[in-house]
Amino acid sequence: MYQIKKIFLLCLTGLIVVSLLSGCAKNLNQVPQSTASKAAIFGSVDGLQLYANSFYDGLPALSDSYKTDPGLCDFGAIGNVANLIRPGTLTSRQVGSWGWGTLRNLNYFIANCNNPAIPVATRNNYIGLARFFRAYFYYNMVQRFGNVPWIGQPLSVSDSALYAPRDPRTKVMDSVLADLNFACANITAKTDATATTITRWVAYGLKSRICLFEGTFRKYQDSLAQGLSGTASLWLQNAADAAKAVIDSGGFSLNQGGGPTQAYRQVFISPTVISSEVMLCNAASASLGVYNDANWWYTSATYGSRFSFIRKFINTYLNIDGTRFTDIPGHDTLTFMSETKNRDLRLAQTIRVPGYKRTSSGQVISAPPVFSYTYTGYQPIKWCMEDAQYDNSTSNINPVALMRYAEILLNYAEAKEELQLAGSGTFTAADWSKTIGALRARAGITGVGLAMPTSMDPYMKNNYYPDVTDAVLMEIRRERGIELCLEGLRLADLTRWKHGELLLDKWNGMYVPALNYPLDLDQDGKLDVCFYQTTPPSPSIAGVTYVNVAPTIAGGSVNPQILSNGTYGELHWLDNIQRYPKFYNYLYLNPLSYTDLTLNPNLTQNPGWQ
Amino acid sequence: MKRNLLAPLSGHWFFSWLLGCVGLCAALSGSAQEVSTGSVSGIVRNDQGDPLGGVSVVATNKETGLSAGTQTDTGGVFHFAKLPAKGHYSFAFSSVGFQAQQLSDYTIKANAAISIIVKLHQQTGALNEVVVVGYGTQKRANLTGAVAQVSGEVLERRSLPNLTQGLEGTIPNLNLVPADGKPITGAVYNIRGGTSIGQGGNALVLIDGIQGDPSMLNPNDVASVTVLKDAASSAIYGARAAFGVVLITTKAASRDKATITYSSNYSLKQPTTVPKVVSNGYQYAVMFDSAWTSWYDYSQTPQNINKTQPFSAAYIAEYAKRDADPSLKKVDIGSNGNYVYYGNTDWYHELYKNRNGAIDQNLSITGSSGKASYYVTGRYFGQDGIFRYNSDNYHVYNLTAKGNIEVYPWLQIFNTTQFTSQTYHNPLNVGEGGGIWRNMADEGHPSSMMFNPDGTLTFSAAYTVGDEFYGKNGININQQVIRNTSGFNAKFFNNHFRLKGDLTFQNTDTAAKQIRVPVPYSVTPGVIAYVGTGTNDLQMFDGKTQYLATNLYAEYENTFHEDHYFKALIGYNYEQSIYNAGRTLRNGLVYANATDLSLALGQNITTAGGYEKWAILGGFGRLNYSFKDRYLVEVDGRYDGSSKFPSNERYAFFPSVSAGWRLAKEAFWHVDPNAVSDLKIRGSYGSLGNGNIASYAFQEAFSISQSGRVIGGVKPQETGQPNVLPNGLTWETATMKDLGLDLSALNNRLQFTADIYSRMTTNMFTVGKTLPAVFGTSVPKGNYADMKTNGWEASISWRDQFRAGGKPFHWNVAFWMSDYTSTITSYNNANKALTDHYVGEKIGEIWGYTTDGFWTAADVANAYKTQTIFKASNSNQWYPGDIRFRELPGPDGKLDGVVNNGTNTADNPGDMRIIGNSKPRYSYGFTLGADWNGFFFAAFFQGVGKQDWWPGTEADVFWGQYNRPYNYAMQYQVGKIWSPTNPNAYFPRYKGYAAQTGGGELTAVQTRYLQNVAYIRLKNIQLGYNLPAGLIQRIHMTGARVYVSGENLWTHTPMFKLTHDIDPESIGKSDNILTGTSNNGNANNYPILKSLTVGLSITL
Repeated sequence: MYQIKKIFLLCLTGLIVVSLLSGCAKNLNQVPQSTASKAAIFGSVDGLQLYANSFYDGLPALSDSYKTDPGLCDFGAIGNVANLIRPGTLTSRQVGSWGWGTLRNLNYFIANCNNPAIPVATRNNYIGLARFFRAYFYYNMVQRFGNVPWIGQPLSVSDSALYAPRDPRTKVMDSVLADLNFACANITAKTDATATTITRWVAYGLKSRICLFEGTFRKYQDSLAQGLSGTASLWLQNAADAAKAVIDSGGFSLNQGGGPTQAYRQVFISPTVISSEVMLCNAASASLGVYNDANWWYTSATYGSRFSFIRKFINTYLNIDGTRFTDIPGHDTLTFMSETKNRDLRLAQTIRVPGYKRTSSGQVISAPPVFSYTYTGYQPIKWCMEDAQYDNSTSNINPVALMRYAEILLNYAEAKEELQLAGSGTFTAADWSKTIGALRARAGITGVGLAMPTSMDPYMKNNYYPDVTDAVLMEIRRERGIELCLEGLRLADLTRWKHGELLLDKWNGMYVPALNYPLDLDQDGKLDVCFYQTTPPSPSIAGVTYVNVAPTIAGGSVNPQILSNGTYGELHWLDNIQRYPKFYNYLYLNPLSYTDLTLNPNLTQNPGWQ
Repeated sequence: MKRNLLAPLSGHWFFSWLLGCVGLCAALSGSAQEVSTGSVSGIVRNDQGDPLGGVSVVATNKETGLSAGTQTDTGGVFHFAKLPAKGHYSFAFSSVGFQAQQLSDYTIKANAAISIIVKLHQQTGALNEVVVVGYGTQKRANLTGAVAQVSGEVLERRSLPNLTQGLEGTIPNLNLVPADGKPITGAVYNIRGGTSIGQGGNALVLIDGIQGDPSMLNPNDVASVTVLKDAASSAIYGARAAFGVVLITTKAASRDKATITYSSNYSLKQPTTVPKVVSNGYQYAVMFDSAWTSWYDYSQTPQNINKTQPFSAAYIAEYAKRDADPSLKKVDIGSNGNYVYYGNTDWYHELYKNRNGAIDQNLSITGSSGKASYYVTGRYFGQDGIFRYNSDNYHVYNLTAKGNIEVYPWLQIFNTTQFTSQTYHNPLNVGEGGGIWRNMADEGHPSSMMFNPDGTLTFSAAYTVGDEFYGKNGININQQVIRNTSGFNAKFFNNHFRLKGDLTFQNTDTAAKQIRVPVPYSVTPGVIAYVGTGTNDLQMFDGKTQYLATNLYAEYENTFHEDHYFKALIGYNYEQSIYNAGRTLRNGLVYANATDLSLALGQNITTAGGYEKWAILGGFGRLNYSFKDRYLVEVDGRYDGSSKFPSNERYAFFPSVSAGWRLAKEAFWHVDPNAVSDLKIRGSYGSLGNGNIASYAFQEAFSISQSGRVIGGVKPQETGQPNVLPNGLTWETATMKDLGLDLSALNNRLQFTADIYSRMTTNMFTVGKTLPAVFGTSVPKGNYADMKTNGWEASISWRDQFRAGGKPFHWNVAFWMSDYTSTITSYNNANKALTDHYVGEKIGEIWGYTTDGFWTAADVANAYKTQTIFKASNSNQWYPGDIRFRELPGPDGKLDGVVNNGTNTADNPGDMRIIGNSKPRYSYGFTLGADWNGFFFAAFFQGVGKQDWWPGTEADVFWGQYNRPYNYAMQYQVGKIWSPTNPNAYFPRYKGYAAQTGGGELTAVQTRYLQNVAYIRLKNIQLGYNLPAGLIQRIHMTGARVYVSGENLWTHTPMFKLTHDIDPESIGKSDNILTGTSNNGNANNYPILKSLTVGLSITL
């Protein structure tokens, strides 16, 4: 009996083994289920949209764009002098690799978005988006590195294009223009009240920005542009036309809400995007838990770079009546409290001035510049929301504009004026008043400030652009600086105008009349700051920040914070740090990293760098 | 008691227990009344017929409960002069190095003499031990591979939140390093060091032959833990076993009558280290001011202590007054109407309880009734959290039920069911997220305090311990495993042929609920504000793994012509695992106490799924042959298929061979067996493919995730380019050679085992040749890298006995050590850039600069020339007391006048050199044990002989305010900080950010601050007493013991010369379980706990 059972068990075992082997083997074929396949992505509109959402990661990160200017520009001072302008601190061995990841994602899409099941117009809308972002990518690469290789498709591991040398600027920029034209023609024309998607008008706006860059770059950067100055007008015309397309669309206007004292700043701190003026932004949302860190970054002793405007730039703000502040005799010895009065109303909407108030724990409080947040006294508020509750963490809910109608007006004005100077076209008084005039009127400026200028401002000419002989162009450049400061466009402007030497400026701050003389910066009746040398006055006054401006400090070292005349004068920050004696031409372009040059021997370093 | 028989290594405990009981009973029964007696005497000899002295002889009488003990003299003679003539006696003989023997059923008649002659067989020491191997067992004597085994004894009488934490240091070269002391923290199971820098890979852990999570197992159920170290021993498990196998065997059902064992212990625990911070608020504030101001070039006064406390010159002046006069108020209202604090808060004291308790209750019932036997255990382990508020309580419930039925004499059917449920509450801090320790470094200012006078939290508190006081934020994690194995064993042809099969299913559910709400605080009396306003959400996570495994195998075993032993195994194995997960997060909790997803009403909704299925299929076989027990050969092979590989690479065959030669069995071996009783040389060679890789690694996939941007009013999902797939992939291969020696000597008192090995991991799946950046995505990986790991391990043990106070005193001592180093032998990094692996790299090497003391006023001007890439102040200025780095000659032998990293390559590292190695070297363990008269003692030390640690930029416990000026100041640094009057201090000029900001002088890895974290730790120490049998039998018990046990009670490391604030075993990334791979500071961890345990165990 046992034997039969034993044999039965053995047979059963054999049967099980055979069936298991055949049945289980097919389980060795497994496909992922929590990811999508290529066919699913490119075979439906939803799939294309899903992919296209990743394009937006090519835009500056949420908290980046308002930190770009503070990183390197002539507007202000920061905690330390950038390596780019300090002798011996930057070589190709220290820079990181140029990044190309964004491009491949776009090229992969363009190469694969060819499923005939989807209507051509729909596909072209998405390809247009991809090409918009490709143009945006290449614009940044050309700005940073000059000539770069043009790559129009995703490369395989063995592609010879991996080892291609740089392409001529014309090939790259012509391709960029082709991408922009395709985007303008194919991206669906619609308006976006959230100002967070790329519309046809944003494409035109970008085209005006890029073409203005390229046109002026070819005109002013004679040697870097490799003899392309003859083609400058073509690009300027494209810039003017693209800007005009946005203006003519009628969809945008300058914000006037809040009146001249608030209309400008509302664009930057309103929790709801003002999409009449803001064409594209990085949105924040309390309900979606998406925030930027502008308040924390600008209002902290330690978190940000403590960006502080310098006096040289603050001086360019006109008086409210349209006259020049720098024409006032003795303007350079005015105190902070005096110099901030009766100015272009954008000044009070850009920095803390007397009378500036904000909210803290539900109470409205007077808020003077804080001398552990600022080095110069000119503390920016352009991106900072009023309530101090936002100061301590990434919690800002204001959208951060990436493209504004104001910029389009400035692009238009500058392109038209440059064209006129080149003898093709005119920039009329009407053009002036709908561009620069409109921006100034919004800022409360009256009188001569609203009319086309007739005389050159010697301050601007001596301190900023000595090569500019046209008074109108000079005012357009003044306006561009004031209107667009801290929006991340300044380095490109200085590059295309060939005025990198402004980056070497020493950093001056407000005028300090005397030592041991506490100042009431916000004019609220309480003293705020006191400058001393070596030993602070005693007894210390509650609420006063004491700043040591002795020439030397502990251990005999040089004090980075001094007064221009020793015991009085303008505050100066980091004069002791050596900058280059002049802005060498090669500094306009970044070096390629040593690693990138090694990996592709066909690449050559930008001249001047090693 | 039965449990001990199943744990072969634990014999000495059993004997000590027995002898102790017997001895005491004999003493207790000394006053017995006059009865008629007889005498018993005898002689004990060994196998060779020589008399054996020192053999302990115990006479027991079950009917009367009497037991008496004596010992043989040098002539091997023993004598019991008067044994009461009643009932039946049994005599137990035991001696170290010999197999114990028991003779039963002696009847003693009045005034009669009995004489007994006993022959004790020499134990072949551990050689007779049965060792668990893949799909079977083997006598240690016949082993040819490198196998180590410990009994479950090493886990007993300890307070162990999970099994993995208890195995650390118990087995040579089983390297378990828990990331921290959190009760749910397990560890990666590593055997013999360097595995793969490509696909990675750890040891395969099997529980009763089936893959499982050891951290979820009841430690009391463990009978033995076996580690298969070399390729030959592991090969039968094929592709999963490339880096060794850990076999955990649970206790089997007893074949005797029912036994009930109840054991329980209670522990008090506390962190091994609590950082000592400067808790005097005034002193802290002064140090903060100094650190802040000096970094900012002495030109400004800070306005705030980080975010939460205003600061000014006036404040510090007032603080000096209040500090000097403790009668003044500690909280005041400032001119702006806000609170001003003059606190002395030690936030660690606010954070941790002084001690926390843990309790372990275990009940087991085992026995048999004829043909059925059973084993059932239940356990509860609970540990109170260490936190004073919102504490991290931990609970585990285990249930195991095993049953065997002998259906026919040749057929056994068995079933095992195991259930485990583990819950843990992990508090969270919403202010800035991340671990509490880093948040305390940022905002736990001693100058602030926990509460305002009206009972509300302060701003500093809300970011730190106040969140825990508020008590609403945390994650509740519940993990449940249910597992059932059914199977049969059948024997045929006189047990020469055996057939075995089993089927297991295992469901693992992990559920986590996370709640985060803003924390209220008050800066102005009567005004409430919140931190973490951006974080107000509830997240539910549920992950299920359904695992199925089946094995079917047959074994043939026979001995031909006496000398030819032969065993063959052939089998089949199939396993599959399906993982499904769902994650839902929604913000906008409608009120702060809401705990259900239905009450989350916000628009920020994140959902994610998750799916993975894999299957493996394998056929395996093993052949053992031995001739005259002298020459041993084993051949293993496995043919494996895995769903993780593309179809053309799916199947692979892994062979291995091993052999042993028992010299002591040779005819020419004339060494006295009392001197050397056994000597074996072993060797093995095998090659295994690494199948421990991610599923779908070879398929193009568009993964979908939520964009971080708001586009069109929503955070949309997005996808992008898939990774570029590699061409022509093949398996990573681990090839291992092993040479071993086993020695038993001096009457088996001495046991010695040593192995040397080398493991070549070839074709490791690592980065391809670096392509120009225009490629635009990561270069597909391929089989490009090779690595060689060389190592050795050795263990030596001695056990012996002597008489003390007329009672045998047994003692034993054992020591083991292991070491390995791994070197890269092939890698795609032609320039040998130090940013990646390179050929010739020793894994773990630390490159750094040489510290050359501090700059002085006389020479600090030179710092500007030579140290441009470093910073000692915000504006790049140098001062006396800043670190001076030494210039070292470049490849051309010359000094270039600048301290830098050259081309950051191994060939031109500038002024960097290899200054240390972060891998542990010379890991060791050391055990001591003794028993006498019912008392027992054991101690277990564990440590690392050589290891370096660079604290890293965020290690604020080490750097204090050198990290961030507003961090807590470290007490240990006081007096060790440079000043003009203390120019030779350990630390440089006091300043914040030097150890935090890019280029900061203390962020540069350098010799002066490299720490020696070699350590020795008293992992466990026990002292206990087995109650005498005579005593406990009266209350119908068969065993009872009480004990005290201590865990991690003592540690020493050279680093303690500098600071006691850091546990040398907890120096890794911060709070790994929560923050994953991001790092909020080395050593900023859940502390490792030390504990004191009292317990008892009763057997009925």
